[in-house]
Amino acid sequence: MNRMTALSVTTLAVALGAAGSSAHAAAGPSDPQIAAIVVTANQVDIDAGKLAKSKAHSKEVGEFAQLMITDHTGVNKSATELVHKLHVTPESNATSDSLKKGGEENLANLKTLSGAAFDKAYVDHEVAYHQAVLDAVDKTLIPNAQNAELKALLVKVRPAFVAHLDHAKHLQSELGK
Amino acid sequence: MTRWLSRWLWLTVLVVTPGAGYPDAGHPQAGAAQVVIIENMQFTPRELQVSRGTRIVWINKDLFPHTVTAAARAFDSGSIAANSSWTYIASKSGTYDYNCTFHSSMKGVIRVK
Repeated sequence: MNRMTALSVTTLAVALGAAGSSAHAAAGPSDPQIAAIVVTANQVDIDAGKLAKSKAHSKEVGEFAQLMITDHTGVNKSATELVHKLHVTPESNATSDSLKKGGEENLANLKTLSGAAFDKAYVDHEVAYHQAVLDAVDKTLIPNAQNAELKALLVKVRPAFVAHLDHAKHLQSELGK
Repeated sequence: MTRWLSRWLWLTVLVVTPGAGYPDAGHPQAGAAQVVIIENMQFTPRELQVSRGTRIVWINKDLFPHTVTAAARAFDSGSIAANSSWTYIASKSGTYDYNCTFHSSMKGVIRVK
């Protein structure tokens, strides 16, 4: 993992960790804040996927990038429909802002790379990102979601994040050979 | 003629209309389609045994597309969008392992007798 990728992953871990730490220690994130975190987390991965689709060196990494675009777009479509239905306005917060910043740092780093180095940095970040998002879903977002439909959406998308993590780990292993 | 038209309309609704006209997965009737639900990155039931000529309907209840693709492409749905379905008539005996080409961890089996 190069220095910029490590920095970006650190930002991500801090961002998602913040969702369950001092910033929300008293009450945890509210539903509007959870909605903003979900939408931002998906959008960050869609943006990384779009860059990876155009720059990926290997066919498998390019296909994974397209899958991330498709699946996370589907999740965000449902999340957006749900917040409209519930009349919830996503509320930016420290976690969603940090996620966005971490995503921008990751893109800036990836844009400096090419070939096999690009593939490795993208896939390394995807592994760390999906692991961090899953931890946040399990430890912070699902436990704190108040609205039953919002909680159900988080539960519903969890298996996809697990499958993405496994897929990314498999790619990481293949790229390391 | 009326009967034929009725069956044709039912099939049309089943295949073309997302989210509508699905057979009841919990209460299969004689001659009714068998249903496989695609949800939470799984095919349920994972294994299904049917007689030749049975209509099998895969209903995608996930939030993104999946495929139903048999080994050696014995059948292949192509992309099934979220909240849509795909129907296949099992016309040839055999055991068919299938998966989703987008998410290779998703696997299922159809046994046609």
